Amino acid sequence: MSNSQYSVPLVFNAVEIMTPFLLAAIGGLFTELTGMLNIALEGLILAGAFFSVIFAAATGSLFLGITMGILCSMLFALLFGAITIYLRANVFITGLATNLFASGFTIVLAFQIFHTKGNIQFPNIPPLPSFSVPPFLQRIPILGDILFGHNIIVYIGWLIVVIAAVVIYRTPFGMRLRGTGMNEQTIISLGLNPKRYQLSAILISGFTCGLAGAMLTIQLAAFVPNISSGRGWIALVAIYLGNRTPLGIFIASFVFGLAESFSNYAQGAIKIPVDFILALPYLITIAAMILYAIWRHARTGK
Amino acid sequence: MKGKKSLGDFLASLTGLALTLLISFALVIALILILSKTPGKTLFYFFIGPFTNNYYLGNMLNVAVPLVFTGLGIAVAFKSSVFNLGGEGQVYAGGLATTLVCLALPVANGFVGVLLAIIAAMVLGGAIAGFSGYCKMKWNADEMISSFLVSSAVVLIVNYFITGPLQDPHNNMLASLPLAHQYSLLKLFPPSKLNLSALFAIVMAVLVFFFMNRSHIGYEMRMCGLNREFSRYGGINVSKYLVLPMILSGALHGIGGGLMVLGTYGVLYEGFSAGMGWNGIAVALIAKNNPLGVLPAALLFAYLDAGAKAAMLSGDVTFEIASIAQSFIFYLVTAQALYSLVHRRRRAA
Repeated sequence: MSNSQYSVPLVFNAVEIMTPFLLAAIGGLFTELTGMLNIALEGLILAGAFFSVIFAAATGSLFLGITMGILCSMLFALLFGAITIYLRANVFITGLATNLFASGFTIVLAFQIFHTKGNIQFPNIPPLPSFSVPPFLQRIPILGDILFGHNIIVYIGWLIVVIAAVVIYRTPFGMRLRGTGMNEQTIISLGLNPKRYQLSAILISGFTCGLAGAMLTIQLAAFVPNISSGRGWIALVAIYLGNRTPLGIFIASFVFGLAESFSNYAQGAIKIPVDFILALPYLITIAAMILYAIWRHARTGK
Repeated sequence: MKGKKSLGDFLASLTGLALTLLISFALVIALILILSKTPGKTLFYFFIGPFTNNYYLGNMLNVAVPLVFTGLGIAVAFKSSVFNLGGEGQVYAGGLATTLVCLALPVANGFVGVLLAIIAAMVLGGAIAGFSGYCKMKWNADEMISSFLVSSAVVLIVNYFITGPLQDPHNNMLASLPLAHQYSLLKLFPPSKLNLSALFAIVMAVLVFFFMNRSHIGYEMRMCGLNREFSRYGGINVSKYLVLPMILSGALHGIGGGLMVLGTYGVLYEGFSAGMGWNGIAVALIAKNNPLGVLPAALLFAYLDAGAKAAMLSGDVTFEIASIAQSFIFYLVTAQALYSLVHRRRRAA
């Protein structure tokens, strides 16, 4: 097949590109299930991106860098969650606050440390290890080329999807989490504290967004201001398109990954102004969101 | 009309607000103390700088002008329980529409040209926001997320115009060709950039106040904002009020962007409106969505902005320090616990 020569790298890249969407959306699913729309995903990704690359460069260890990135992202999530839940603030507004804070804070800190507000290169960061499989698996036609040979975070992302599905549907914690979103009073009547589940969910989203952000900057070995560039928002849409299930989110993220992979490919092949290429993920996301809404509207009746 | 209780509520919300601002400003002071090598000088510039001469003062007032428009735009939407998170793109698109009209009509009469340019900004901003409202009405697609996504795409498309077809080949900055002189608005306070649009802003705040509080449509919008189901039973065409507040909100944002181009810059700069949309939300929240409250709230934000710009002159902090303060205002402005804390104290006293 002559066109597989184009389509295999296209899909291979899509699997890579989808991972930050997937991670952020899985974390966002937890908060979504507790009944909170988590606009802060964007800022949490940014915090993870900034701190992981900074710590990775400072310690020379990818593991330490990513761990610190995740921890810092969770700290941001804690601030967001504590103010929202315990000071009873509007979750949309505190979500916006988190995005604004992450954006401002990372720039102020970058300026303080590196005296620049532009891109910061970290050439000494080692590349993310890729996951090697036995050669017989790698030789599976097409699938072998698409599924294997990605960096390790891609596979951790898949693992997290599976863990999330088990936690959400098969554990008491997951049941109570979903119960919090369905009817808070039920949880209270069981003698449980719904706030605790909401805060846990927000911290989980901090964890996954931290990892999502780490993948962005560590792969580049650089920090670019506002590198999250809308991924948190696209992840929110992926939660809806995925019908609030881990598998659905996986599929929706793949579609977004494919769209972005395609627009990267188009950039090289066709002469389109770069701003249009950059706008494409947003336009595709809006189109997907509206088509989904139309489909759901038609299915549930007028 | 209003009883004692509502006056008490008003005072409580004012004290809650004061607490929010106090915490946010304390944070800025702490940050400057940590980050600056000459904290005394930086603090002086930050807090006093904007008042040290007419130029700074006028420019600070001028920064408040677009914030009044975006704040009003958000207040109109939020009062109707419709969430417009696309302000950034709508302001920017307003700037583009204005520029396109002025460049297309280089010799028109100044007044006619400005009027047409503002109408174009209004229409484009309103159409962009109205699109999200329409999708919400028609298919129940979340307007909050869609307005943000549309706005992000719009920002990039406007960037394309600025760096592509409209770019001034003689200018090293990323900017469009300059607009003809007859379109620039009268300066009120030279040498600062404060101009006629400041008066428009005040007039607009009063107009929106009367529209929301004294007109039939405004009443129905507020009712839908309070309780959409109840309004439906009351015979209000509620789906109309998913779209109309969005259109009005986008139109106000568009005007804000258009006036910035006409009054302040005379040219369309890349990223000229960055942050205006987000700050409009904060302004509206501080004003509790009251159109007249938007005026002082916009001034407060302009002060933060001017303070950060002045502090930058002292050399060792960056402008984004303002956005940290602004984000904390965001964090705390809706925190009910802060307000009820004050309530409790008041009752105990």
